[in-house]
Amino acid sequence: MPVWIDPDKCNGCHSSRQPPCLRMCPGDLIVKDHSVNKAYLKYPEDCWDCLPCIKVCPEEAIEFHLSYQFGSREATLAPHIHKDRDFITWDAVDVRGKKETFTIRTKVMKIALDEQVEDSEQGLDFSI
Amino acid sequence: MIERQTIETDILIIGGGTAGCMAAVEVKEKFPQYKVTILEKAHIDRSGCLAGGMNAINAYLNKGETPESFVRYVRSDSCGLIREDLVKSMSELFEYCVKKVEKWGLPILSDENGDYVPRGRWNIKINGESLKPILAKAARSAGAKVYNWITVTNLLTEGERVTGAVGFSLRNGKLYVVNAKAVLIATGGAAGLYRPNNAGDASHKTWYSPYNTGAGYAMGIRAGAEMTSYEMRYVALRTKDAIAPTGTIALGAGAPQVNAKGERFMVSRYADIGGDGAPTPYRAHGPIQEIKAGRGPVYLDTRGISAEKVTDLKKAYLDMYPSQVLYWLANDIDPGAEPVEVQTTEPYIVGGHCQSGYWVDVDRRTTLKGLYAAGDVAGGAPFKFVSGCWAEGVLAARAMGSDIERMEEKVLVSEERIAAEERRAFGPFENHAKMKHGIKSSELESRLQKIMEQYAGGASTYYEMNEEMLAIARKKLADLPQEVSGLVAEDLHQLMKAHEVIDRIDVAQVLVEHMAYRKETRWPTYHTRTDYPERDDVNWLKFVNSVRDPQSGKIVLMTRPYEQLVPGDRYKP
Ligand SMILES: Cc1cc2nc3c(=O)[nH]c(=O)nc-3n(C[C@H](O)[C@H](O)[C@H](O)COP(=O)(O)OP(=O)(O)OC[C@H]3O[C@@H](n4cnc5c(N)ncnc54)[C@H](O)[C@@H]3O)c2cc1C
Ligand code: SF4
Ligand code: SF4
Repeated sequence: MPVWIDPDKCNGCHSSRQPPCLRMCPGDLIVKDHSVNKAYLKYPEDCWDCLPCIKVCPEEAIEFHLSYQFGSREATLAPHIHKDRDFITWDAVDVRGKKETFTIRTKVMKIALDEQVEDSEQGLDFSI
Repeated sequence: MIERQTIETDILIIGGGTAGCMAAVEVKEKFPQYKVTILEKAHIDRSGCLAGGMNAINAYLNKGETPESFVRYVRSDSCGLIREDLVKSMSELFEYCVKKVEKWGLPILSDENGDYVPRGRWNIKINGESLKPILAKAARSAGAKVYNWITVTNLLTEGERVTGAVGFSLRNGKLYVVNAKAVLIATGGAAGLYRPNNAGDASHKTWYSPYNTGAGYAMGIRAGAEMTSYEMRYVALRTKDAIAPTGTIALGAGAPQVNAKGERFMVSRYADIGGDGAPTPYRAHGPIQEIKAGRGPVYLDTRGISAEKVTDLKKAYLDMYPSQVLYWLANDIDPGAEPVEVQTTEPYIVGGHCQSGYWVDVDRRTTLKGLYAAGDVAGGAPFKFVSGCWAEGVLAARAMGSDIERMEEKVLVSEERIAAEERRAFGPFENHAKMKHGIKSSELESRLQKIMEQYAGGASTYYEMNEEMLAIARKKLADLPQEVSGLVAEDLHQLMKAHEVIDRIDVAQVLVEHMAYRKETRWPTYHTRTDYPERDDVNWLKFVNSVRDPQSGKIVLMTRPYEQLVPGDRYKP
């Protein structure tokens, strides 16, 4: 399972109908289970490992692991967006537990917690 | 009863990706009076090829280069045959586009003189992790109306004119009917025609976006648009397993290819065509021949690069393809200490790396009135990358704007046509309710990929093919269109997946005809004909084009002449 949403950390983005992780997935692979107010990766076999879901999660609830067929599941890679949104820092932990960090310039765009907010800003009727 | 939403617009853009977003901004800036509507299958903030980010702009005229020198390079890199008019016209707009995107916020590395930092002859370095959201914001702020989660299934046509498009919403299940004066198709290329490199939970661990499934090609094929050069498939040299781009290593760290014995085979065997700098098809063909001859695996020799270079390499991948870094972490690999193993990918159809796609004029008009094409879906102009896709978006936008200024009335299609498309679009949904043993999209996908893999030059036959194999592929593929009537989809996500396979079947049939028609081997590995192993400039220095007759469904092949505009040896950069 390449991308994994930690149910202990995911808060479903409160009352969001379509939380950011779900909206930013280019393959439409993440679903929110409204009965427990949590998101999960419904189609792991279709995941591209592109990581927009992880980058936009306000709770940093999504973990990235290698597909087991490629090697150990122990190594992790986690991006953190800086408050000014001009930098991203990646925490990289290898299979032996050694940690390295990489800080890179970027320009992160703000994103609303729910699609309706975005749509109403655009004046779009997108009733679901 | 399917609910319907009808949208009236001046310009419709199908696919809000690299080319689509740039085109939207250009229309709104040059022709603010026109309404622009984007229909996007996912959410434009993170859709298509750019979803994971980019670390370079791979087509740019660095200091000292000109549109002519670019044409010469791309021509030799594509083995002597390109649409020089198209390649030249896009290169003239690289700077215009790159400067714009920098203004919107993209960090581009500059030196002390303010010049962009090159990464190789035609590339510049960027920190493009957020490139897609930056483009999306620009398109929205410019005033384009964006409809996310609309899978477009077909163009609407009246006679020879394209009048709009139809799709369905993944969110509310409505049928969207858009009437427009001009339509730009910008849906990218096609992955998943062949068996992917990996299986199981990594089957979508492809290089090309697995969600770009040739929809734009398929819509054009069904509408009778002229297509070109599908036989120039793209087989990419990528890192083993992770399938990450290797340019980052080859250009970024200057690492050459070596075989299992440590031999620099590109130098020893391909010196006459440039060695390590041989045309791109040969840089995939070379390693495959090593593996075929038992001299594999093949590596990019990164041994001995400095710790600083290794860090740069990792950072570059984090900007574009983070899973490569995780792969090294999980396997305890230090690319400075051991070479990086590489492999070749499933064949993709990508007009931005090769030149398969719509046959367009220099303003990116297709052969159908009212329909324009830009980006990976447009043909004739390889070596586009992000900047060429932007440039084509700009060219198409300008042409659409000025063409519709002269147009009096919008043409509307009949209700029967829309109703027919509604039935086609939602067919798998209805089947689900009434069929006991319906076909799942994943099953039809496997069947398609098996045929292509085994008879149409897949990786398992070293990308080789001959007349007889292609005849079998043709015959087996001919059964698939009927199978579509048995496809089932239980929800809207599955309906999208069903259409992804339906589209790929249409593309695969045209692809096989193109590969059978060109009786030479111009682009080894992309199109290796074992029965015609040599390049043949006397008979085949021309484009192979096709049109599928919308009435009979017959695919008609034809050739179009090559025109040399930039003088010089076509095989020298
Ligand atoms: C992993 C990777 C790394 C790359 N790295 C670089 C790099 O560093 N530098 C560089 O210059 N180039 C790079 N490229 C190439 C470059 O990204 C592409 O050539 C370019 O982005 C293609 O642009 P496009 O507009 O044609 O397609 P895309 O940007 O993919 O846009 C196509 C859009 O159409 C949408 N769409 C598809 N089907 C439908 C449908 N049926 N209905 C509605 N919408 C639909 C898609 O969701 C998508 O948003 C890379 C490509 C990949 C895949
Ligand atoms: S964005 Fe994060 S917190 Fe919000 S629903 Fe998704 S995983 Fe949960
Ligand atoms: S990594 Fe990409 S494809 Fe996979 S779930 Fe996240 S956004 Fe979707």
